[in-house]
Amino acid sequence: MSSRDSILATLRANRPDPAAHELPPVAVLGDMDAGKARFEDALQLLGGQILLPQEGDTLATAIARRFPDAKIICSAVPDFEGTIRLEDVASPQQAAATDVLVVRSPFGISEMGSIFLSEAQLNSLNSAAHLTQHIVVILSEKNLTANMHTAYVERPEFHTARYGVLMTGPSATADIQGVLIRGAQGVRSLSVWWE
Amino acid sequence: MPNLHIATLGIERIVPRMADMGVFIRLLSRSALGSPITQYTTHFRGPQKGGEMHIVLVDNGRSARLGMEEFWTSLKCIRCGACMNTCPVYRRSGGLSYGAVYSGPIGAIIDPTFNERKYSTLPFASTMNGSCTNVCPVKINIHEQLYKWRRVLAEHHELPFVKREIMHMAGKLMGQPTLYRTAINGTEVALSSLPRFVLYNWLNPWGKHRELPHPVKQTFHSWYKKNRLKDKKESKGGKA
Repeated sequence: MSSRDSILATLRANRPDPAAHELPPVAVLGDMDAGKARFEDALQLLGGQILLPQEGDTLATAIARRFPDAKIICSAVPDFEGTIRLEDVASPQQAAATDVLVVRSPFGISEMGSIFLSEAQLNSLNSAAHLTQHIVVILSEKNLTANMHTAYVERPEFHTARYGVLMTGPSATADIQGVLIRGAQGVRSLSVWWE
Repeated sequence: MPNLHIATLGIERIVPRMADMGVFIRLLSRSALGSPITQYTTHFRGPQKGGEMHIVLVDNGRSARLGMEEFWTSLKCIRCGACMNTCPVYRRSGGLSYGAVYSGPIGAIIDPTFNERKYSTLPFASTMNGSCTNVCPVKINIHEQLYKWRRVLAEHHELPFVKREIMHMAGKLMGQPTLYRTAINGTEVALSSLPRFVLYNWLNPWGKHRELPHPVKQTFHSWYKKNRLKDKKESKGGKA
């Protein structure tokens, strides 16, 4: 008997009566507000930022103002120049040289302030989203979903992406002495630009 | 980047449907940190282009635990750590003191399922305050299972000799108030009068890095007996 068969046999013998534990209907709980204000509040709670345009601002001028010292601005979207295109980054390691990565997220979650990225947005160079110093995420208000339940039920990306990550603000850890440190394991800042 | 990804996980990690994940993602970080979600929530559905991904489902006694009527619900644990953050024992002792991968109250009820002898003392390190059960987002009756493990371990003779004998003696002592109070008085006298080498030696490993409690001149009980009990009797007598 293979270990697989013996595990399954023990599980079948030991499991509680399936008839007494029916699978509950899919839960869609909580607030159904899929609004921009709720998204912004949640994102800012976890240290994320909104890149607000000033009079006559384009994304390029807004980025230049927010990150004046940035030398390598990498673009993963067709409608923004940057100093280098993500397709021209040769290896996952080289993504570490990036100061600012500009990427478009297919959807956000209002409840959590999360944005979704997968290999489809990152040209299969998944390290780019984590090794860059700062990330600017282009997001459309019409692509907001209310909460985790609606996200998993509605969004097709969870069924197609090999690697899908929900990012909520910059990387953060408070494991050591309860001190919150941002940017130790990933991006130092995450900003959302509304389109 | 390596093109090989091997993920190992316990068989109890599996949820029936993708739609069910929302329930657990929402519970996890708000029970752990109090934040709506962890900064990175990663979904691996397949290997990266040109790579390999393997998922190893680990049993290691979990399927057997499913058959333990009183303990199987510990398989519901989502590893949020809420029971640890609230536990008065864990907060003083820290995770390493449990000597196992799983620490805290949840560790004390699942570690014995892996090795009863090795982790036989863990279920005894509890004040039975029930705080863990109170905060558990998946409603595991942790403190009740701690109590049940004590019984099981005693029945299986997994308690170390010294612990078993001490428990036996303590049981006798605490069952007889007069004997108990005499013993307490004796201890206070001993603590205040015996020389250090008698109190701190190999027979007392507890005192190796710690000081014994300070002796008190008077216990609460003896103070009560002297001051309040007398008043009560007198006032009762006066009324009569």
